Amino acid sequence: MIKTKNAKQLVACQQCDALYDTPILKQGQSAKCTRCGSILAERKVDSIERSFYWSLAGIMLSAPAILLPLMGVTLVGQYHHASLLDCILALIDRGFFMIATLVFLFTLAVPVVRLLGAFYITYSFKFNRLKPSLLHFFRAFHYLDNWAMLNVFMLGIVVSMYKLLDDTELSINMGLLAFILWLICSTMASSTLDQDYIWQELENEFVD
Amino acid sequence: MSIKTAQGSGLALCPKCHKLNNIRQCSGKNVRLQCIRCHGLFYPRKPYSLQYTLAWNFAALIAFIPANIYPIMILYSMGIGEPNTILSGIGEFIDLGLYPIAVIIFTASIIVPLIKIIGLFLLVYRVHTGVRLRPDKHSKFYHALEFLGPWSMLDVFVVALLVAVVELGFITSVAAGPAINYFTLTVIFTMIAANSFDPRLLWDKKQGCENAKEENDY
Ligand SMILES: [Zn+2]
Ligand SMILES: [Zn+2]
Repeated sequence: MIKTKNAKQLVACQQCDALYDTPILKQGQSAKCTRCGSILAERKVDSIERSFYWSLAGIMLSAPAILLPLMGVTLVGQYHHASLLDCILALIDRGFFMIATLVFLFTLAVPVVRLLGAFYITYSFKFNRLKPSLLHFFRAFHYLDNWAMLNVFMLGIVVSMYKLLDDTELSINMGLLAFILWLICSTMASSTLDQDYIWQELENEFVD
Repeated sequence: MSIKTAQGSGLALCPKCHKLNNIRQCSGKNVRLQCIRCHGLFYPRKPYSLQYTLAWNFAALIAFIPANIYPIMILYSMGIGEPNTILSGIGEFIDLGLYPIAVIIFTASIIVPLIKIIGLFLLVYRVHTGVRLRPDKHSKFYHALEFLGPWSMLDVFVVALLVAVVELGFITSVAAGPAINYFTLTVIFTMIAANSFDPRLLWDKKQGCENAKEENDY
């Protein structure tokens, strides 16, 4: 029993396994590993509130960001525009199923699920609706950590605009604004989410 | 000088919730544990980390060859198709004088995948042999590789956007080429390879080497 008590006061670096006493942090502070320099622990400011509102805004922006046209081209009097969903549908039309699936996952499914997940977690904390199933839910949430690529898609939009500017008339649509706001909301929702705090609270509540 | 590690103290860190768990006393090997906090199953170190990294890395390298040979995009204008490989697409931007864009695409589609593949081979080799191992530098290098991974998808997204936007029937349209499949596989494989690598092995190996050295000295 002494051993488990020991484990509670210690913290290990995720990157190099160095062992430290748990640092006592105020909101907004973070501790760095002295051996490899990666962040050991951090307390984010007002995490639950901020993440709740960012993810709520992100969820509301999802539909316009996905469905509204991002940009359009005009050439010899003909006009055509496309949204994020159109990109995926166009790939399916041409038979590129693997690429369509991956683009769908990285730019649509994963960001949306992450927003919904962050919203559900922060909602449960904000209104004190903690359930033991949240432990499993939050663990599953971590599987999606590396696979959201909205920022890369944004750079893709910029690059393809340059490509199109050369010989067509390019127009920018409302969807682009919605997409940029959506990108900001989902980035902020995940960066304000204090995982250490959430895990600690869930542990205090449900693990004896 | 040796820093206390979790493993050295009979503890293991859960990769999902970052809870320290006690390793069961009986065996000192890399046994599977269940986290007391999130109930996830995990290993103190990623099992067969080097082997998996090598395997995915080879797969990425193989897929990278057809990705550069076949056209990634075919531009149709008045019914005439003009195939573009990754490199010829970059060449076009240079011809137009759009150097920053050319540099961005060249970095994302050629330099980053190559550096990732070569870099991971190097890291695996260093950990395996322990020759000139500098964990502080090598772990920073590894994190840079991990961070850069998704940005290689840039070219794939550009092609997807162009295919969807430029659809003016006979006048002009864009089709994706077979290289896009191979290129995407390269990116995914390098991301999985980087994920399979366990940076803690760098430090383990270094400490192992130092301990062996000290024993020899006495
Ligand atoms: Zn460290
Ligand atoms: Zn855990």
